[in-house]
Formats: sequence, C-alpha cells, structure tokens
Amino acid sequence: MAILEVRDLRARYSKGGREILKGVSFSVEADDFCAVIGPSGAGKSTLIRCINRLVEPDSGSIVLYGRDVAQISTRELRQTRRHIGMIFQEFNLVNRMSVMDNVLAGRLGAVGTLRSIVKLFPRGDIERALAMLDRVGLIDHVDKRADQLSGGQRQRVGIARALMQDPKLLLVDEPTSSLDPKISREVMTLIREVAREFHVPVLCNIHDVQLATEFCSRILGLQDGVKMFDGPTAALDRRKLDEIYAMEVL
Amino acid sequence: MALTVAPGLGMVLRNRNLRLLRAAAFAAVIAAIAIVCLHQVMVVDTDWARLGGFAAVMKTTGRFIGIDWSLLPLLVVPVIETLMMATLGTVVGAILCVPVIWLGALNITPSRHLAYPLGRLLMTVSRSIHEIVWALIFVSAVGLGSLAGILALAMRSIGFIAKITAEAIENVDKRPIEAMQATGAGTLQVFRFAIMPQILPVVLGVLIFEWDINIRRSAIMGLVGAGGLGLTFHRQMVMFNWPGVTTVILAILALIALGELLSHHARKAVT
Repeated sequence: MAILEVRDLRARYSKGGREILKGVSFSVEADDFCAVIGPSGAGKSTLIRCINRLVEPDSGSIVLYGRDVAQISTRELRQTRRHIGMIFQEFNLVNRMSVMDNVLAGRLGAVGTLRSIVKLFPRGDIERALAMLDRVGLIDHVDKRADQLSGGQRQRVGIARALMQDPKLLLVDEPTSSLDPKISREVMTLIREVAREFHVPVLCNIHDVQLATEFCSRILGLQDGVKMFDGPTAALDRRKLDEIYAMEVL
Repeated sequence: MALTVAPGLGMVLRNRNLRLLRAAAFAAVIAAIAIVCLHQVMVVDTDWARLGGFAAVMKTTGRFIGIDWSLLPLLVVPVIETLMMATLGTVVGAILCVPVIWLGALNITPSRHLAYPLGRLLMTVSRSIHEIVWALIFVSAVGLGSLAGILALAMRSIGFIAKITAEAIENVDKRPIEAMQATGAGTLQVFRFAIMPQILPVVLGVLIFEWDINIRRSAIMGLVGAGGLGLTFHRQMVMFNWPGVTTVILAILALIALGELLSHHARKAVT
C-alpha cells in the first residue's frame, strides 16, 4: 500500500493567480526516495508544500496513510504535520537558539504547550535529540548558537530536527541549493542513509538532476505544473529529460 | 572638442546658479518668518515693564544660584521613590502592552480590518496624551502619591513599547515560523520558538530605553502631586526656597544622568 497517494492536485499561490499545479497525480511507496525535478517555475516547491499544506491546494486529494490531508480541519492538520518531517532549502533554523533547542523544536507538536513554553522537554526527548545529533555528526556542537554553524552543519541540524518527529514521510525542499557541491553530496548521502535507517519515504524537490539520479530511486518530472515523467531512475533517459526541461518557465 | 565641452560647462554653471538662487530664496523666507515671530513674542507680547528690565531679570535669576545643603538628607526618600515609580511604571506598562501588541502587529493580529486598527489606535492614544495629563487623570482617580505616578507612567509607556515591539514582530524572518508550523506546533509554540528569540534584543532594548525616559517623566509628574522628587520641587517652590529649588533640580539631573549611564551599559549588554 502506498504511504502517500496524490490525485489530481491543483494549486495556485494566490487567489486568482496563475495555476501552478495543473492536476498532478502520483504515489510514494514505503521505501521510495523520490526526486521531483523540472525547470524553474514547474511547481516543484509548490507540490512539496501542498503535502503538508504550507501551501493550500485548490482541489485534489492528498491521502497520507489513508487520511486525506486536503480535507482535514486545522487541529487535525497540526496532528498530521507532527508525522511529516520537513527539510528546507535555507535550513529555517532559529538562529539565536542553540543547536540543541533547535533540534528539540522538532518535538513541539508532541510536547504540551505549557511545557514547551518554559522549554521543559521530557528527558526521553533530550536523550533522543543527543542521539540524533550524534548520528548527523554534530555532537560537539550541541550548545552552539545555530548561526555559529556553517551551511552544511545547519542543514544537518535541520535533518536532525525533522528526524526528531519520528516522521512517516520526509518532505525535502531543495536541500542542497544553498550548499557547495562537496557538502551537497554529504547532505544527500546523509538523507539517504537516515531515510533507510529509520524506514521513512522521502519526497525531495531538487533541481540538480545529477544529484537526483545519483541518490534517488524514483523520479517525478514536472513541467509547468504537469507531470511529464514518473518512474524509476533507471528509466529516465536523455530524451525524456529533454522533454521535461524543454520549456523553461521563469 | 571645444564644441562638445562648452555646452556641458554652461549647463553645469546654470544649474549651480539656479541652486544657489533657490537656497537664497528659501533662507530669505525663513528669516522673514523668524523675524515676524520673534517680534510678536518678544517685543509685542512680553510685558517688559513688569519684568522690571534686564537688571531685575538678572537679580531674580541670581537668587536661584546656591545649594541648600540641609535639604540633601530629605531628598533620599524622594529619589528612591522616583526610581521606584519609573521602574514599576515601565514594568506595569510592559505587561499592559501584551494585548495591544497582539492586536497591533499585522502578522499575528486576529483581524486586519478591526483588531489591527484598534491596536494602532491604542498605541497612538497612549502617546498623544502628555504624561502630566495622565498624572492629573490618575491623581484625581486614586489620589495623590506615587500610585498615581506609576499608573500614569504605565499608560504613557504602552504606546512606544507596543509600537516598537509590534514593528519588530512584523519584520521577523518568516522561515523559522514556517519550520515550526511544519512540525505541528501550536500558535503559542510558534510564537515562543520562532518569533520571540528574534525580537528579544529589540524588546529588552526598548524596555531599558523607556525606563530611562520614565525617570525624567516621574520627576516631572511630582509637580502635579504624583510623588517623588517633583513633589519636593513643588514644596520648595511654594516655600520660596530658591536655593532649595536649585538643589532639587540638580538632584533630578544627577538621577537622570545615572539612569542614562545604567541604560547605556544595559543596552550594550543586551544587543
């Protein structure tokens, strides 16, 4: 059974604006590391953000573990988001907070409001956070302020934060666009490894086709809001790639 | 070469002369207004006869020179009272600010068309009413003494603290907010983790700044009975103890200077 099943997804950024996604349908299986590729303006970022409704879709269904995310109420959405981890292009850390607090913030959905306001996270969460930081190689930077870290280190904090949620799905939005090529490979390697370790399917928006084909098991090709390709990486050949990138929408 | 240079030079010189002409005209208008106003205030509206002439004015001023040393021990309590008023006034004002800030910041207000204008209106009202007027309102409401002063300072402080804080909230980096929302955090949690860390230096800075200003305000409020050094000042005036008046003024000056020193170092430590 598919973890995520998206049917005929349509979305636009603002009411009455241009339609960005024009009826996209696909599914993500339990072991997928699925890359979304396509030219600028194809709707890759919008697609990722519709899954956890950071962008509100116009119509269509987004069924995660049998529940249609597009239909649920705000309270139910908050609960659902707890199980969807997200990694951002610009890391989206709280710069003035310590690495530890940033990672613990991944548990905000699960910890009660009053406890979290005074930062009284349960001991189990703190132990888990330390384990995550160790796993991503940042155990020596636990008490540093987030803005004292390099780009690659910050992204690893972001990865640790997403994993803290014990997610059922990982949404990744251009994880390497703000990083240099060598660090990009390290980050992609880390994401692939932890996704396998923690058995989490990944839906990753990426514009570097080389990285996509090297690290991802499945490719979703988007052009101008329409799905042009959907299949295993091996099936993506030169001709199909040219088709996807034929029309550059800026 | 000469043909291309000459028109260019001519144009630059013409522009320069035009600028000088405009500046001279502007200065002439300002000078004319100043002369008319000064004439009205100093020559027409001032009763020079009653003042008794320049020598008399100098004699009156001379009476204020001198310090009444016997007054110093009596100033200790008013000084403490003034400081306490300023501190409590700032704290109470900061607490009262919270709903005003919530209403008056575009990205967290419950309604852009009703709550937000209300929030901005409250900020404006607080800042439009002079501290003396606030003091008069509270002296008639709760009686003479420092309580009136504290409440008046609180009401006057709301405007600025809320305005600066609301604007800081409107200017936060949205990316951590997005990240917190994506983890399923509630509104209060998003505020605590994504917004608060970003605005904390600004908020602390404005609180220290307002405390410093409130020291001066609380000294003045005493004039209308709200306690502190201002009350001592008033008493010395009605007793015609001119050196005493000077002493109190110097004490107020010293207090404000101290406040400025403390707030300067505190703000450095925070930002």
